[in-house]
Amino acid sequence: MICWVLYDIQDNKARRNVAKYCKQAGLYRVQYSCFLGTLNGHEKDTLELQIEEEIDEEVDKVYIFPMNKSELQSCILMGQAFDKKLVSDEVRALFL
Amino acid sequence: MHLYLNTYGTYLHIKDQLFEVRVPESEGSKQYQKHHVAAQKVRTIVMTTSAALSTDAIKLAMAHHIDIVFLERGGQPFGRVWHSKPGSTTRIRKRQLEASLSETGLRWVKNWTLRKMQNQADFLFDLLRHRPHLKASFTEKRERIAELQKSVQDLEGDRTADVADSLRGLEGSAGRLYFAGLSEAIPSAWAFKGRSSRPAKDPFNAFLNYAYGILYSRVEKALMVAGLDPYTGFLHRDDYNQLSFVYDFIEPYRIYADTVVFRLFSGKKVNQQHTDELSVGYSLNKEGKQLLVAAFTDYLDEDTIRVLNRNQTRANAMQAEAHGFANSLLEKDDDYETEDY
Repeated sequence: MICWVLYDIQDNKARRNVAKYCKQAGLYRVQYSCFLGTLNGHEKDTLELQIEEEIDEEVDKVYIFPMNKSELQSCILMGQAFDKKLVSDEVRALFL
Repeated sequence: MHLYLNTYGTYLHIKDQLFEVRVPESEGSKQYQKHHVAAQKVRTIVMTTSAALSTDAIKLAMAHHIDIVFLERGGQPFGRVWHSKPGSTTRIRKRQLEASLSETGLRWVKNWTLRKMQNQADFLFDLLRHRPHLKASFTEKRERIAELQKSVQDLEGDRTADVADSLRGLEGSAGRLYFAGLSEAIPSAWAFKGRSSRPAKDPFNAFLNYAYGILYSRVEKALMVAGLDPYTGFLHRDDYNQLSFVYDFIEPYRIYADTVVFRLFSGKKVNQQHTDELSVGYSLNKEGKQLLVAAFTDYLDEDTIRVLNRNQTRANAMQAEAHGFANSLLEKDDDYETEDY
């Protein structure tokens, strides 16, 4: 499934760690506090547990939104937006 | 995804348990672009020469079953890093060795060769649909390939070695007819005289060699995953005079490379900027490799075909056939059914 992860986290270290976990799970950073990418159920659960450990439930806000492919296709992107193919794992070969 | 590190001076290492690829902005530059890729997303890392790799990156790759393949300039894989376990039971390898020396091996080799020849004849037939002016020439070529197929079927022996020379000859004759046909069918500016490698004598062969290189590496991995030994060959020898099973098993799949390369040329996607002229031939440059690899990866990993009663990608079908072959070797083993575990 395609997942959005959005957060507001006060503590700098916790925020850095959450960003790191999102990247390790294979999500792409689309804005400062906003990640997007394809996860399977297991990867989503792992990420949820990792984030739970980091945040302060009294002050921080984290959202993990699943989205299906057709909804992604009907998204409107403007400006320097992300690559739909990349976040939905349709890029088969990456050249660097 | 398959990660291709294709820029001179690239360095692959680890940061925060992610692959970090450091790419110089221009050749020799001390300014770098950094790219981060999660290990979970990567299936293969393909490295061309003049790139560096850290041991931690190898470790992360092994932990995620990612294989690291090293390529020559021409696309020929010359090595790979893979965890040191056989993909499956060693029994498969023992049966494979036996088969390579018995009539079973010969039956399979004939089967693969016939499938390759059939693919070649079918491809020429497909090309005729939009090229009616080639009808006379292609019909003759197809008939001659059919005769060669008949001769392959008629070969008899107790093991592959008995008929290896005749088989190679028949296969070669079919190949010459087929490639002559392809040369007639592509835009005349790209026409070529037969196959050539190391170096390729023309851009078409340069593309084809690179595509076969990719396919070779894919087949090798499929065999390893299925628990087969890529070095116990039935018919073919590679350049170091070892029998190599990859060259046997690849035969029915060569058509994938041929099709993609032919389409790039006939669809006018290739131009002079994609190859570099060497003193003795041609080689693909960075743009050419990118064009080919993108097209070929889509063809293998995205398009689906119907194989074994399922719609699946060509790459999956290839893997399934490698497993199928391994299983067929095991079924020959009489003890296998009755043995207690």
